[in-house]
Amino acid sequence: MKNIFISILITFCFTAALVGCTSELDNEPIGRLTEDLVDTELAAVTLEALISSSYHPLGNTLNGVVPGWRWDLGTVFRNDIVLQDIAANDMNKKWNPDGDQPWMDKVSDFSFTTENQAFNGIWVYDFIGINRLNLGIGFLTDGETVPNSGMSEARKNQLLSEAYFLKAYYYFDLVNNFGDVPLLTKSPESFQEAAEASVRSPKADVLTQIASDLTTAKSLASNAKYPDGAEPWRVSKGAIIALQAKVALFSEDWPSVLSLITELDGLGNYSLNTEYFDSFDADLEFTDNEVIFAYDHRSNETPNNTNGLRDVVGWGFFAPTDDFIQAFEPNDPRLLYTTTGDPDNKASYKIRGSVAGNPDYGNKIYIRYADVLLWKAEALLETADLSGAITIINQIRNRARTSSTADGSVIPPGTLLDRASSTNASEIKGWLMHERRVELGFESHRFNDLKRWGTASTELSSKGFQSHHNLFPIPQIDIDKSGGTIIQNPDY
Amino acid sequence: MKKNIIYNIFFIGALLVGTTLFAQTVTGTVSDSNGPIPGVNIIVKNTSKGAVTDFDGNYAIDNVDQNAILVFSFIGYTTQEVSVDGRTVINVILIEDSQALDEVVLVGYSSRKKSTLTGALAVVDVEGLAKVRTSNVAQSLQGQVAGVQVASSSGAPGGNIEVTIRGVGTIGNNTPLYIIDGVPSRDISFLNQSDIQTMTVLKDAAAASIYGARASAGVVLITTKSGKKGKMTLEANYFYGIQSATNLPTMLNAAQYMDVTEKAWNNTFTGTNPYTADKGRADFGDTDYIDELFESGSSQNLQLSASGGSDKVQYLMSLGYYGENGIVVYNNDKYQRLNFRTNINAQLTDKFKVGTNLQLSYSIQDKVPSTGESLIRFALLRAPVIPVFKDVSDPTYSAEDPFTDMPFFTSTGYDQGLNRTMYEMVGNPIAQAYFSDDRTTRFQTFGNIYGEYKLMKDLTFRSNVGIDLSFYHDKTFNVNYGDDDGGGSAIDQGLGRRNRPNNLGELRGEAFTFTFSNTLNYLKTFNERHDFSAMLGTELVSNYESFIGASRSRFPYTVDEFRYLDQGGSGLDVNNSGTASEYGLFSVFGSTSYVLDNKYMVTANLRADASSRFSENNRWGYFPSISAGWKISDEDFLSDVDWLSNLKLRASWGQVGNQNIDDYSYLELLRAGDIPGRDRFGNPDLKWETSTQKNIGVDVGFLSNKLVFNAEYYIKNTTDILLPIGLPGIFGDLQPTIVNAGEVSNKGFEFSANYRNSDHEFKYSINANFSTLVNNVEKLHPNVPSIVTDKYRTVVGQSLNSYYGYKMIGIYQNQAEVDSHLTAGNAQPGDIKFKDVNGDGKISPDFDREFIGSPIPDLTYGFAFNAEYKKFDFSLFVQGVSGIEKYNDGKKIVDFDTRPFNYTTAILGSWDGEGSTNSMPRVAFNDNGSSNVSSLFVEDASYFRLKNIEIGYTINGIKGFQDMRLYISGKNLFTSTDYTGLDPEVSGLVDKGTYPSSTSVLFGVNVKF
Repeated sequence: MKNIFISILITFCFTAALVGCTSELDNEPIGRLTEDLVDTELAAVTLEALISSSYHPLGNTLNGVVPGWRWDLGTVFRNDIVLQDIAANDMNKKWNPDGDQPWMDKVSDFSFTTENQAFNGIWVYDFIGINRLNLGIGFLTDGETVPNSGMSEARKNQLLSEAYFLKAYYYFDLVNNFGDVPLLTKSPESFQEAAEASVRSPKADVLTQIASDLTTAKSLASNAKYPDGAEPWRVSKGAIIALQAKVALFSEDWPSVLSLITELDGLGNYSLNTEYFDSFDADLEFTDNEVIFAYDHRSNETPNNTNGLRDVVGWGFFAPTDDFIQAFEPNDPRLLYTTTGDPDNKASYKIRGSVAGNPDYGNKIYIRYADVLLWKAEALLETADLSGAITIINQIRNRARTSSTADGSVIPPGTLLDRASSTNASEIKGWLMHERRVELGFESHRFNDLKRWGTASTELSSKGFQSHHNLFPIPQIDIDKSGGTIIQNPDY
Repeated sequence: MKKNIIYNIFFIGALLVGTTLFAQTVTGTVSDSNGPIPGVNIIVKNTSKGAVTDFDGNYAIDNVDQNAILVFSFIGYTTQEVSVDGRTVINVILIEDSQALDEVVLVGYSSRKKSTLTGALAVVDVEGLAKVRTSNVAQSLQGQVAGVQVASSSGAPGGNIEVTIRGVGTIGNNTPLYIIDGVPSRDISFLNQSDIQTMTVLKDAAAASIYGARASAGVVLITTKSGKKGKMTLEANYFYGIQSATNLPTMLNAAQYMDVTEKAWNNTFTGTNPYTADKGRADFGDTDYIDELFESGSSQNLQLSASGGSDKVQYLMSLGYYGENGIVVYNNDKYQRLNFRTNINAQLTDKFKVGTNLQLSYSIQDKVPSTGESLIRFALLRAPVIPVFKDVSDPTYSAEDPFTDMPFFTSTGYDQGLNRTMYEMVGNPIAQAYFSDDRTTRFQTFGNIYGEYKLMKDLTFRSNVGIDLSFYHDKTFNVNYGDDDGGGSAIDQGLGRRNRPNNLGELRGEAFTFTFSNTLNYLKTFNERHDFSAMLGTELVSNYESFIGASRSRFPYTVDEFRYLDQGGSGLDVNNSGTASEYGLFSVFGSTSYVLDNKYMVTANLRADASSRFSENNRWGYFPSISAGWKISDEDFLSDVDWLSNLKLRASWGQVGNQNIDDYSYLELLRAGDIPGRDRFGNPDLKWETSTQKNIGVDVGFLSNKLVFNAEYYIKNTTDILLPIGLPGIFGDLQPTIVNAGEVSNKGFEFSANYRNSDHEFKYSINANFSTLVNNVEKLHPNVPSIVTDKYRTVVGQSLNSYYGYKMIGIYQNQAEVDSHLTAGNAQPGDIKFKDVNGDGKISPDFDREFIGSPIPDLTYGFAFNAEYKKFDFSLFVQGVSGIEKYNDGKKIVDFDTRPFNYTTAILGSWDGEGSTNSMPRVAFNDNGSSNVSSLFVEDASYFRLKNIEIGYTINGIKGFQDMRLYISGKNLFTSTDYTGLDPEVSGLVDKGTYPSSTSVLFGVNVKF
């Protein structure tokens, strides 16, 4: 009798363990979206967040994209300013030379190696954006997710329009910096597929994709200046057309530049501000006439979304070169907005978004109408409309000299006089180059301009520029991680 | 009298034993060949009655039945049973059992006689360990067992300990599996060293395969103490220790610092040198931050235990307290632990036995930032010209925050001119130590309840339920302090730059692991020469963990009483978080062994495991092993060889697995939330990592096993390694995908020797062990020919995580040397000269980097000497590793950074013109080549350390005490190493400058009542 009891007990123990196991082994993962879940019920809020977080790599929030002060990876903020303004002859790392962040100095004097984190930083930022977008575009276009999530068709189109634009924006930045880059047209399905996609595609193929994405983006966009009034930072049709124009400009497709800018003007959304500084003034964001595309830094958000460059400037970074200061004509009010030029007041009002205050929400401006006008001037010049080009240059100069000054001083008469009419195209090209440098100083356009114009080798030769520097090196870290399927640019 | 009271308290229930009709008092003396032995346990068999011999070896027991049997036992001696047979005086001579070869050893779910073991396992000398006093039991394994390497991640109180058994076989988690009283754990920091009865390291697959899928990193079996029949013991142990930092570097003083920075500026820039002008500034201090940061620390330990039992019930109760106050000033680095333990075994009927081993522990760890970006690092880096405290006349001085922060900060403007640039702004480590408030508390219940039923004479069923339940609470209050550099969001303007705004984060979590195992054990001897045993079992392990966390900022009041979430700002920066995870493991296993004539033995194991960490297709893994032994010394042809007391050959083959990866690793994961995205790509084919191990071993004993040797050679091949593979950055911020890829081999030779001589009044023993290790990556994933980080990489043909970089071959002495070596770049005289491997006149990462060191030691060794002379005892323990390299990143940032940090005095030997040195480059604020990962920073981290030395004195015969031992003990008193970092013993591949290990002196007393 007792033995039977014991046998039952033992049988119970063994089977309890067996039964227990089946349920213990098949639990669904906690708090993670598995593929099954995504296929059936991805929430609209997740779709929204996928697209809105794709903007983050355009911001300069410190550690906002890659956490944890990774100076060693170059990811503390977006490195445009290092790769454009410092690499060109406008900006020094700091006001007083020192040994802090020597990688920036090495970009400045072109002594960098392929391991320099400046390149990794921008590469990582752009590709993080692209991957978020590929995932978002995948969901938005798979035909099931959107209806299941309850998102409206109009909202879907708006988000898709933004996504295609942003993807094009990141890729355009990549080809300008690196030439051929891996072209990820969609989110890889598997680890294997991703590993196989780790190869560089020809720049021409990437440009074709950029053009196609921008066309799609435009077809889905509304004509409104702010397609989402509550969130004016979202990509608008104006931004899309402007980027198309910029791509055409970089490809020297001058007629397209002109026709696209005409199309942009047709929207009737943009003009030059009366005041030069209004585009940058943190308190006038999304109320001005000129800004076409900017990243919106905001205070008091979780996760943090503030303008980190304000702090970096505060640490004594981003000083003007003597050459840059000397490039300004006497009393040009734009100089003081761009840099104080004063080692005892180390600041750039444009970067911090205020003359007197120190707000943490100043935006990072990527495309503004003055820039677009100067593209137009360049295209007119290249298509032999010399007077048209001069007219635009003078329009820019006029706005500058009629603006208020940062220190309240009165601009003496004779400042920034109109350029005279000229039939000398190279003279006008010189004026144009000058005007771009002073109008758009510290806005991270300079190095690309010099490369485009082919003048980097003359302007920067004393700094150590050589022809192979027209393309920055692919980050060594990714060459190593790919196991050699991603190959380096020549001469590095 | 006192003794009787204690007896009454502890034995009130247990003394209820039947009276006897013909009882008498028995007295006598117990001795060995050298004379009387004090402290021998004597019990009257099958009763709770007993006694212990006094200082002169005498004993007396009242009311002993004429036909009773007395059992005499003493550690290190063979237990004797003597029939009373009506005698009243019984003198006994105990025979020393020099190696106790026939002790029974736990080998998993069953026990075996040590003499018939066929696998490679090492029984740790727990008695010897008792003298290596550590807060973490894992630390005490160091140097004790050949093939086991122990390192700590930091010398901070409560710091993490890493144990490696037979090398690193995997790229992921290599923590051994600990089985404590049948309950698994990956951490044993909660255990109290004094509670441990046995510790056995299962090294080869034959020994470990019964733990199947979790055993590839080795298994350590631990049993806790239990009471002994008949004997009541009450013990109190206490020690107090004083410790201080050791092996600290010498930093530059203020004047030296100014000279060096002046020179660095001159070597880099042209123009007016700002350092020249600044020399001798009135507001300069001359601070040795290392000296300011450390003080002497203390540790104390109190252990009380009572144990004993009757025939039917045995018990042990213990209470332990360990407290350590670390060596950083202001006492915010502390570790305290309270342990309670109750172990009870009860024989309910002849056939049915139940028991429990249950521990409660509560630990409190106060931390200062001690690894990575630690205050130790800040103390190394901060310019010595900056004083620790502000002058009271300074307008930014306050009593709440008297510390200096930014260099010579005087006003609230955020531009501090040259001071900012000239004297790098690392924080003030003293302020950091002062303001630290980071506490982790952990309450843990760990233990088992078992029932054992003898179904038949030879067949036992055992069911064991284990729980490991812990609750933890992390609470960090970040006090706002430091200078106002003008940063922070609008509402935080005017606050200091550190922890701006102040904030409190709390995290509460729980982890529950449930283990349910059932085994049938069969043991039978046929015809007195065939020993047969078999075991069959099932086991279920299930785990559930969860946490919730919350934080708030902007606390208006920051005194301790207001450091609670309710007191924080309720508007902005209110965060909360929480999630959970779970896994399950179900297993079926069996083991069988056969021994013929105690000479020929063979054992086979098989375990099948199913884990929730793998997809259904690959859920089950099967782990077999077989081993055999031959005891040659028992063969007839050796029976005449008296000096050879034992000779046994062993060989084994087996497989064990590893499933130590994150839960759900096979699934593709997408994250929701504010920043949704792909966490990682999945891998539906993911399966077990398998480690196949071959082992041969020999055990030899001479002169009645006074001298024993043990040697093992093993080959451990790990295949289908669970390899986290990261994709290039072009796929965004992905976690690595776990794939089964690659094969790593570990081969090694292990040797240990033990000599014991107790024949004379001077008794001593010597233990020595060493092990070698060769680690090699045999194969990797086809997509990923190498696993790469900036400082080390894993490739086929090298050991795991080998350092990779440029090889420094000297210093360029002049421009001609630069020009003849390089055709490109802008190196200058005084810069580091790297080897141009492909000879193209350029130093480029794709062609000129090489493997420059391995973090895996070639040789690990330990040596212990114990001696006793009359009432004195002495022990000494040394331990070391050799053939190991470590990346000294601390050195890189201290002596080679381009920022004006402080330097060690090594910088004074920098290159200073042709012929000055060929090893230390010019000091500069631009790159002298030291920004590269190079052999300059890969240092030999071999060391030899006097871990412990102890002298004790035992006093017997004090009234009320059985005996009392007083001792003084020194830890880490001497270290020999070429490593220039803070501690060669620290774990981790990249040493950023950690909390250093300390040297300490302990005073202690052990009392037995």
